[in-house]
Amino acid sequence: MSSPVSAETQMLLPTVETMVGVLYFGLFAISFDFISGYTGYLSFGHAVFYGTGAYTVILIANGKVPLLGPGTPFMLSLLVGGLIAIVLAILVGLVSFRLSGVYFAMITLGFAQVFYVFVRGWDYVATNPRDGPAVGPSHAEGFQIGVPGIDQLSLSIGVLTGDEVALLGATLSGTEVSYYMVGLVVLACYFAMQRVIHSPFGRVLLAIRENEERAIAVGYNTYLYKLGAFAISGFFAAVAGGLFAGFKRSASPENSFYFLVTGDALLASIIGGFGTLAGSLYGHLFDETVREFLSKAGQGGGLLPYLRALLGQGTLDTTLVGGTTIGGLIDLLLNGHASLYVGLVFVLFVLYVPDGLLGTLRARLGGTFAEALPAKLWGDSE
Amino acid sequence: MILEALAEFLTLGELGGVIVNGLAKSALYVMIASGLTLIFGLMGVLNFAHGSLTMVGAYLGGLLMVVTVTGGTAPLTRLGLFFVAIVVAFALLTALGGAIETTIIRPLYDRPPIYQILLTFGLTLVIEELTRIVLGVYGLQPLSDWQAALATKPQFLREPVALGPVSAGWMSLFQILLGAITVVGIWAFLTRTRYGLYIRAGSEDAEMAAALGIDVRQVFTVVFALGIGLAGAAGTLLMWDPTWGASVPLAAETLLPAFIVVIVGGLGTFRGTVVAALVVGMADAVTTWWFQNVIEFTGLPELVLFLVLVVTLIVRPQGLFGVEEVGGH
Repeated sequence: MSSPVSAETQMLLPTVETMVGVLYFGLFAISFDFISGYTGYLSFGHAVFYGTGAYTVILIANGKVPLLGPGTPFMLSLLVGGLIAIVLAILVGLVSFRLSGVYFAMITLGFAQVFYVFVRGWDYVATNPRDGPAVGPSHAEGFQIGVPGIDQLSLSIGVLTGDEVALLGATLSGTEVSYYMVGLVVLACYFAMQRVIHSPFGRVLLAIRENEERAIAVGYNTYLYKLGAFAISGFFAAVAGGLFAGFKRSASPENSFYFLVTGDALLASIIGGFGTLAGSLYGHLFDETVREFLSKAGQGGGLLPYLRALLGQGTLDTTLVGGTTIGGLIDLLLNGHASLYVGLVFVLFVLYVPDGLLGTLRARLGGTFAEALPAKLWGDSE
Repeated sequence: MILEALAEFLTLGELGGVIVNGLAKSALYVMIASGLTLIFGLMGVLNFAHGSLTMVGAYLGGLLMVVTVTGGTAPLTRLGLFFVAIVVAFALLTALGGAIETTIIRPLYDRPPIYQILLTFGLTLVIEELTRIVLGVYGLQPLSDWQAALATKPQFLREPVALGPVSAGWMSLFQILLGAITVVGIWAFLTRTRYGLYIRAGSEDAEMAAALGIDVRQVFTVVFALGIGLAGAAGTLLMWDPTWGASVPLAAETLLPAFIVVIVGGLGTFRGTVVAALVVGMADAVTTWWFQNVIEFTGLPELVLFLVLVVTLIVRPQGLFGVEEVGGH
């Protein structure tokens, strides 16, 4: 891969591994937007479903779930995780949807934190529950996405355990295969959610967001609709969590059940566009790209290594005021502080781009992207 | 075994110790949460940045102590400096709070309340990361407690004191005293001063208050600033507490209990916050005792706090002293 701009490309683009994360976490953000963006109920404890999916997959693989041995196909454990999340969502929703606004956000946060603290102290899930479980030796091979039971129609995912595929003379590495396979599941889930949103059911959700009292007056039992939407959203959040655990082969309370995980989904939804479904994925892509670009942690390059290579040692050692070198200053501002810039971007979005990336684009184009862009470009009929 | 443990729990010495501990925890909770409740009560803004600002207060107070205290400083001088540190942290953060309100919160009043939550949430990210950068410059460890700040605590605050059969720590008594001062101070401010009257009028009905000639915008700014200032003062107090200490994770650790307290008490009512802090502090102390002596589950106290939140919201959604309509936010 050498071209005139390869260094620049490498600096700008995230790695494939990051992109797999964008896909599964993007799905989680979409599921968050499904409930919060469309009904207006801020589900601040949504991470509990994500964590449920992640833990279910790992516990099944470790043979810790009764009736489901370590050999259970990955697709089936995703489904099981989703079903558990549905049950959980209904139980939580039954009491939570009697409240609204800040109170709803707080009770869902409360429930999620109860589970977080519980999982963090429950030594059945892992020998050290604070660090969380990892896939043990009973499931050494990678998790397979595809048609369960048919090897030819399934491919393994995972950083080290993924299948390699030779295709048209090019070889796709395990991570690249994971990217496409996880992408397939995410795409299927996205279409399913989009179908629901565009159905009469989805219209009622919008009615709830715009004016719940009127929706009730028209004759809808909004409580049941909200509960239904919460269950659907929980299911897909759990699938996202399952994909995350399947790819990473481990999970911890901090990166699955903790309330800041919900915070990341919130970030993605706001940046992408609250109540646009697909926007959440773009929002998370944006978020991750900024992080990867500005933090050294990303192996894909980023601004810091690029600047170091570009400026050369002589420039880096140049002293500015007070004994700080340029290199030191760049280090100070860029080394691992991506959250600062993400936070600033987020604040600016809330203040000046309240509709988010996709919402603003749709408002500009006067319709969804797929419908409005061709019309703009080729001037169809209207 | 449970019965034996219960019998031991109910002895005067143990129970008394738990009560003193519970009061000390309540005092800390009330100090962390009162700023949050003032801001919410008047403006309907649930300030997610409250924990981060508490953390900033802890570092500011710690910095002042580390700079001024040397090994030979007498205990009473240290206490005096500590009060100076509280006042300075309060003043600096009040100024910061005023700046935040006028520049970025003010444009959002016309939008749905969710945007204020979002904005303050973004603010926490910025504050925490800026703190990390500053700490990085000075080579301080941001994740573990800042030992130098802890070390400025006078020796006698580390020692136990016997009150009859009850053994308690001087630190607990000190915290209870400060908590009582905070509660009385805020109460007096709200009920005995003209400005407190404006604040109470504004939280009842901001439009009507404005119609009566009160500059509500200014009241908003002042309350937000004072609320942030209180967060900073609370942070300074936490710096000396062995279970908290000045560290970056302090932000999330204080934010969640503060939420629990203000919501259990009823969002925006100061009286509710005080009562809820007592409830939550006691629940914390009791479960901590059971965890240390009988039950082995590590997260027990934390788990119970969130259960208190959930059960309160189920049984009495508006909180102990809340008014129903606030739920409309």
